[in-house]
Amino acid sequence: MTGLAWRRVRARRIPHIRVGPWLGIFVLFAGWELAGRLLTDAFVLAAPSDILRYLSTEWQLMTRALWVTLGNAAAGFVIGNLAALSLAGLALVWPRSERVVTGLALLVFCLPLVATGPILRVFFGPGSGPQIVLAALAVYYTTLIPLLVGLRAAPDSWFDLVRSYGRGRFAALVHVRAMAALPYLFTGLQIAAPAAFLGAMVGEFTGAERGMGVLTIRALRALDVDMTWALATVATAVAIFAYLAIGALARRVLLAEPPVILATPMSDSAKRTAWRDAGLVAACAIMAWAGAIWLFDLNPFFAKGPGQVFDALFLASDAQQTRTVLGDALTETALFLVPGYLAGLLAGAGLAVMLVLVPALSSIAMPLAIALRSVPIVTTAPLVVLLLGRGATGTITLVAVMVFFPTLVACLHGLRQTPGQVLDVFDSYAAGPFTRLIRVRIPAMLPAFFAAARMAVPASVLAVTVAEWLATGAGIGSLMALSASLSDYDMLWSSVVIVSVLSAVGYALVSVIERRVLARYAPEQLS
Amino acid sequence: MAPDSTPPPEIVCTGIAKTFEGGTKAVQALDLTFAAGQTTALVGPSGCGKSTLLRMIAGLEVPSAGEVLIGGAPPAETLRKAGLSVAFQDPSLLPWRSVRGNIELALSLARRPVDATAVDQLVTLVGLDGFSDARPAELSGGMRQRAAIARALATKPGLLLLDEPFGAVDELTRQQLAQDLPRIWEAQGTTTLLVTHSVSEAVLLSDRVIVLSPRPAKVVADISISLPRPRTTQMGRSNEATDLIDAVFAALAEGMAAAERPLAAQ
Repeated sequence: MTGLAWRRVRARRIPHIRVGPWLGIFVLFAGWELAGRLLTDAFVLAAPSDILRYLSTEWQLMTRALWVTLGNAAAGFVIGNLAALSLAGLALVWPRSERVVTGLALLVFCLPLVATGPILRVFFGPGSGPQIVLAALAVYYTTLIPLLVGLRAAPDSWFDLVRSYGRGRFAALVHVRAMAALPYLFTGLQIAAPAAFLGAMVGEFTGAERGMGVLTIRALRALDVDMTWALATVATAVAIFAYLAIGALARRVLLAEPPVILATPMSDSAKRTAWRDAGLVAACAIMAWAGAIWLFDLNPFFAKGPGQVFDALFLASDAQQTRTVLGDALTETALFLVPGYLAGLLAGAGLAVMLVLVPALSSIAMPLAIALRSVPIVTTAPLVVLLLGRGATGTITLVAVMVFFPTLVACLHGLRQTPGQVLDVFDSYAAGPFTRLIRVRIPAMLPAFFAAARMAVPASVLAVTVAEWLATGAGIGSLMALSASLSDYDMLWSSVVIVSVLSAVGYALVSVIERRVLARYAPEQLS
Repeated sequence: MAPDSTPPPEIVCTGIAKTFEGGTKAVQALDLTFAAGQTTALVGPSGCGKSTLLRMIAGLEVPSAGEVLIGGAPPAETLRKAGLSVAFQDPSLLPWRSVRGNIELALSLARRPVDATAVDQLVTLVGLDGFSDARPAELSGGMRQRAAIARALATKPGLLLLDEPFGAVDELTRQQLAQDLPRIWEAQGTTTLLVTHSVSEAVLLSDRVIVLSPRPAKVVADISISLPRPRTTQMGRSNEATDLIDAVFAALAEGMAAAERPLAAQ
């Protein structure tokens, strides 16, 4: 039999089993086991066999903790998604509010979860309240953005059809918008499910009694390598399972694969009103903040209003000192954050480009990257600390990894968007792979890259603050941890506000660069 | 005529004009009357405003000046009673509904009872037997157009507005549709307005062809077509039809020549 005929026969016999991802997973586990065996004496890495052994002896402890965290995550998931649905509904009913709704949503999404935890703890007291709120906070934005895109995703003629039978906006919502938005909703939910688990765990890091996060802290303090790795492995498995389960559900319900939504598309009209909208968002945020404290009659010792934070930062006798402390901490954090952020972006985009040049690798890497993107990287922060120590390397790596996976997936997706006909034109001039890469593929990738870069800003802030809070004892994360334990609520609130504002500003800065670059390479994205 | 169909209305447009935001004048002060039960084709160069005219008659676009009366009432009234159907340039089938589901959607939007047998008959009429349960993605471009036309006919509208309904269809299917479909709406007794680029199609399908100038649309010629019905593709090659086609082409050319800007400058 000739080689070609043989290949055809084999292809017919196993038509749909994709070997690539399984091969990738096998290689990953084999490498991990090997490294674990080699590094037994270093007390940093547990091999898969060590983890299995730990889980089989401590399964009761682990399942109890897992159920607690899962319960909190599920409650947060439901609440956060309901919030996203109502916010999207508000933006739909009252389109003018959309920019302010998304702006406020972004600002809240930028809240440093680690520091929000202890503040919530004061109000909720013991129990699951803060974990559930943090899970909801981690979730609603990832659902809101695709939902807003989805509700606008239907072509105009479908709405004309509804109108041509004399029906109004409600019929359009029921018959057209809701169904057209469904795939986008699933996209959001798919990312939200692991994010909810992450939120619940972060909540448990900051002063809960039970759950996976509590065990993680305990394992870390006790330098129990097997336990730390077992916890991170379970968290990762849960995240990937949640991601895959929602994907499977989506495939049953939908006609096509859920679309890849990276961020809200930018609009030109938004540019004209950007400053006014930012001002409105700030005003609304301050009013909501002060209003909540007044409405719930919160204790002024714990609950600092906008005025008190302003006092603490600018008017109080020790304001100068407060600002210096904050400034030093922020500088320290920036030294970890910025290199990690840039390294993650570069590595993600670089690997995506390399994978495109070697298509055989891409079929292995893409499914792995998509699955790993769902891993709540922050829950693996303790591992990174174990592996790389409490110094700069560990934190920078954590931030980079946090940024890396979403960027890789986004860039691979972007690279696939290269119009085939344009590539055909290049082929017809016998252009080599590098010419095609530089002139066609990379420009086609840019919108996806920038969307990932924008969303990576709050994500990297979360990563750096968690690492500092848990382990390194440096930077703004550590300052917040210290303030929380010393009940220095002026400092804690000031830090939360400044970190949120700075991440929102970082997000806006990336948007400005994005706009400049896309105006040149992808003007159609700005319309 | 089916018992529950609306009687075909007369349409009177008085001085209607449309200027879009940004100042583009699509249509300028048109006076047109379309007789009840007639089929009229609107022909003109691309972007001349004929679709805008159709959309104003459908009540989907509000004229900047003038008024449209359908059977003596404004379009909103007809819309409210679901008395018209539009077949859009793009078939606009909802991808998550089957052919049957898309046809039934029109009935439920129009708040009419869904009669399964009537839907089956429509599916047969447009030659989609065996595809009732197919989703739009499984159909060819021509089949989608036919499904969209079946949907437009489902409510038995008194007024049928077709905006280049055969736009995305290959030439052979187009001829077949042009021969078969008029019989359906003629049998239902509708006032039909057809926007098209194809001169031969306009002549073959309608009782009257209105030739429009480049933007803003003005009437260049109003040609009545007295070919016998039912019409066949062969009829399009008769001397009478050829003369009419030539007359429409001549009017189009005249409209282009009289336009303020020559084509090259647009």
